[in-house]
Amino acid sequence: MDPINIAQTARTPRVEFDFQGKKFIIAGESYPEDVSSFYGPLLEKFTTFLSGSADAQISFRFELIYFNSSTAKILMELFEALEEAAGNGNHVVITWAHETGDDNIKELGEEFAEELSNASFIIEEIAI
Amino acid sequence: MFAEDLLQFRNDLYNWGVLFCYSGYLNEAVLESIGTAMRVKLENDTSDPRLARTLFSVFVEQVQNVVRYSAEVEIVDRDGVPPELRHGLLAVGKDAGGHYVTVGNLMLTADVPRLRRDLSEIQKLDRQALTARYREILKAAPPEGSKGAGAGFTHIARLAARGIEFGFHEVENGLSFFGLKAML
Repeated sequence: MDPINIAQTARTPRVEFDFQGKKFIIAGESYPEDVSSFYGPLLEKFTTFLSGSADAQISFRFELIYFNSSTAKILMELFEALEEAAGNGNHVVITWAHETGDDNIKELGEEFAEELSNASFIIEEIAI
Repeated sequence: MFAEDLLQFRNDLYNWGVLFCYSGYLNEAVLESIGTAMRVKLENDTSDPRLARTLFSVFVEQVQNVVRYSAEVEIVDRDGVPPELRHGLLAVGKDAGGHYVTVGNLMLTADVPRLRRDLSEIQKLDRQALTARYREILKAAPPEGSKGAGAGFTHIARLAARGIEFGFHEVENGLSFFGLKAML
């Protein structure tokens, strides 16, 4: 699968999906006008990738400064898909980076992580 | 006279503690430009950039509710632009206890009981229960007629440390005015 690289805009995040290297990044702000048209194609490719993965080292990094509730639903779907892949024998590491002191974003990450039992979860503080 | 009336209008807003106010047709472009200006202003005013971001979060959820659901809607028949413009009133301000974000828009009176029930329920929940409810909504299929996650009001209530206030006022022709204030 060809890599996906989408540049950040004021309201959509930077997206880097490296299917070859199995490294994935979503970073920036996310409150798209139409959540399904932005994330729909990404989710489709990503779940296709996951369903064809076995015994793989997959890393997903979230580095979000702000996202709205419609985006939160997409993030929940991503966490669920990653957990399922981990349950199917892949080695999955999710990194949730948040700005130092931003408890809102940190807490939201921890809530998503409650979905996880097989995938590893790392919280990271960064200065933005 | 004209300037005096206008000044009076400005003073009324000032007395309400309003920092930003918009009344009219809204779309996502308006949301983005007002939102950005508001954030810069709030980041400049407070020593706490996170407060600016929390206010911005509440603002986005409230405006997206208007853009998606206001019953006062004008159909636009032109290529390349979203087909609808929806009317709303929004204000961000400061009172004795802190900041607030408030919106008002017309809605179908028929939808009032459902919204009143949902908001009354949300209003009674403590932070922990709101967190649980938010997570439940994110995991469920989107509700009928929803154009987002249907989690907006719950998210607003989570962010509003001083709570939410809301009300409905029947106008005419099956329409009611809905107001919501989120206090941070």
